[in-house]
Amino acid sequence: MLYREAGQFKTSYAADQQLFPIRQDRIGVLLLLAAAFLAVPGMASEYWFSAILIPFLIFALAALGLNILTGYAGQLSLGSAAFMAVGAYAAYNFQLRVEGIPILVSFALAGLTAAGVGVLFGLPSLRIKGFYLAVATLAAQFFIVWCLTKFPWLSNNSSSGVISAQKVEILGHIFESPREKYLLVLTVVVLMALAARNLVRTSTGRAWMAVRDMDVAASVIGIRLMPTKLLAFAVSSFYCGVAGALYAFCYLGSVEPDGFSLEMSFKILFMIIIGGVGSILGSFLGAAFILLLPIFLDVGLPWLAELFHLPFSTATVSHIQTLVFGALIMFFLIVEPHGLARLWQIAKEKLRLWPFPH
Amino acid sequence: MNMKLETLVIDPPAPTRKIGGVILDLQNISLRFGGVKALTDISFDIREHEIRAIIGPNGAGKSSMLNVINGVYHPQEGRIVFRGQERRQMEPHMAATQGIARTFQNIALFKGMTVLDNIMTGRITKMKSTFVEHALWFGRARQEELAHRRKAEEVIDFLEIQHIRKTPVGRLPYGLQKRVELGRALAAEPSMLLLDEPMAGMNVEEKQDMCRFILDVNDQFGTTIVLIEHDMGVVMDISDRVVVLDYGKKIGDGVPDEVKNNEEVIKAYLGAGH
Ligand SMILES: Nc1ncnc2c1ncn2[C@@H]1O[C@H](COP(=O)(O)OP(=O)(O)O)[C@@H](O)[C@H]1O
Ligand SMILES: [Mg+2]
Repeated sequence: MLYREAGQFKTSYAADQQLFPIRQDRIGVLLLLAAAFLAVPGMASEYWFSAILIPFLIFALAALGLNILTGYAGQLSLGSAAFMAVGAYAAYNFQLRVEGIPILVSFALAGLTAAGVGVLFGLPSLRIKGFYLAVATLAAQFFIVWCLTKFPWLSNNSSSGVISAQKVEILGHIFESPREKYLLVLTVVVLMALAARNLVRTSTGRAWMAVRDMDVAASVIGIRLMPTKLLAFAVSSFYCGVAGALYAFCYLGSVEPDGFSLEMSFKILFMIIIGGVGSILGSFLGAAFILLLPIFLDVGLPWLAELFHLPFSTATVSHIQTLVFGALIMFFLIVEPHGLARLWQIAKEKLRLWPFPH
Repeated sequence: MNMKLETLVIDPPAPTRKIGGVILDLQNISLRFGGVKALTDISFDIREHEIRAIIGPNGAGKSSMLNVINGVYHPQEGRIVFRGQERRQMEPHMAATQGIARTFQNIALFKGMTVLDNIMTGRITKMKSTFVEHALWFGRARQEELAHRRKAEEVIDFLEIQHIRKTPVGRLPYGLQKRVELGRALAAEPSMLLLDEPMAGMNVEEKQDMCRFILDVNDQFGTTIVLIEHDMGVVMDISDRVVVLDYGKKIGDGVPDEVKNNEEVIKAYLGAGH
């Protein structure tokens, strides 16, 4: 079956405003979900769960958070990792200090805490834009990490702020194996991605994009810039916060403030640049790409070296990785600013017309 | 560049249309940017349902005047009486909720969004549902999206742009972008519409279409229209009254025939090379 809309006439606006209006998209998403929930858990090895799938989902969620802020609302941020840290430490503290609090409630509260902090650091966006705002969010990045190291209460007086996440228990069941954690993370990420999709296709998302594209026109239409921008900071940080909580509780188990580095913030930014700024699908594609590329190069380069009898040392391999990385980011910034998601869309448009070129 | 009168075929305003009382009264408006006096002590009024043109050479302060009316600029002096309420200045959000919509001289569409989304955004002040309802697609969200979609489609039909509703506006030619921007303004069902050079850079056919839309809006919905336009043929044909600005000062005000024969106006236009 080819990808095309032909023959699918929408007879009502309701049909045209579904979550996925094109039938092939709907089927594709359902197949993907079925594979992720049913097939993968039976097939993947422990290594795949804990080293690839779980971090992929968590970073996709963080990238989605950043994409809401940067891609949809047009506010550049370099503090994503710090908001993840807020989420991780908040979830830890809620578990630690509130007797019998369900873990999912802690995750939600962690998201809300991050949202609050995000709004605080979003305040400068009311005055400044672009590069200067990015610098302000850079302040968030350093300040938050500094706070987590500086105030021992936040890490329950552990040395250098390291925390060990409590066990993940839901309705008496402990999520221990990588497979179980994968399923938990997957559920959270899928639900939040659907919510994000709903947000961006309704008036909340239109208000964000309007502010992004032309703020004077947006305000003349009756959009209040302040609440709209701050909501974007709140929602974005909520997503990053939940991602941070999952990062601590379902991926690493124990984390330290310095782990949520500027480098990690940049990594998340690169994910949306490569995946697609202003695209939910792009957040996933970008996360997959950035996480898989090093693995791919790790395996692929020595293999190539052997094939062509090139004297590659491990150091060279890591240099080449950095090079390829940089080159790709430049490529996407210059040639395809809408990233992989746009390439995918172009492919779909071609398919829609195939085999008739016009 | 200037259009000749004969090239445009425009229906004159319907004679049945009733012009009401003053709904917007601008009193002694002065606006400065640093040392630049954009507007100096300008007073004029706008009556309900009329088409009020603002003309004048480039840099005369026409766009600034519209920006004062819907609160983008705050004048240093003067008062604005809108629907009987006296204010020092307007605020964009307030102007929008009170029924003032506008288009811009340099198209200010939301470039990354489709035609439909741009027009839907025009209805945003009429939407009540919260972002939580949107995220969960629950409560008022669904029903509201559908109801407003229907309204947006009415605008799309009115402007005859059905074929491009799903096209990102950035990909449209200039003339269509202008039309979509009018659509976004109309979507708000405004009682007053401020149009900043809606026909600039258009060919004859596009100008005719735009004129027809403006007249139809005024006629069918009774929308008060404030129109900045350089094409004298159009201005004299469709407007009820004309204000003339020059170097931020008002030099003429009245029905087209009066303005056409005003000495100062003729001088300003000759001086500016028209
Ligand atoms: N935002 C602004 N900042 C500084 N000067 C401005 C601004 N907007 C308008 N002006 C000045 O005000 C004067 C009137 O401009 P404008 O209202 O755009 O004229 P018009 O629309 O009649 O061509 C010009 O001298 C212009 O340079
Ligand atoms: Mg102007």
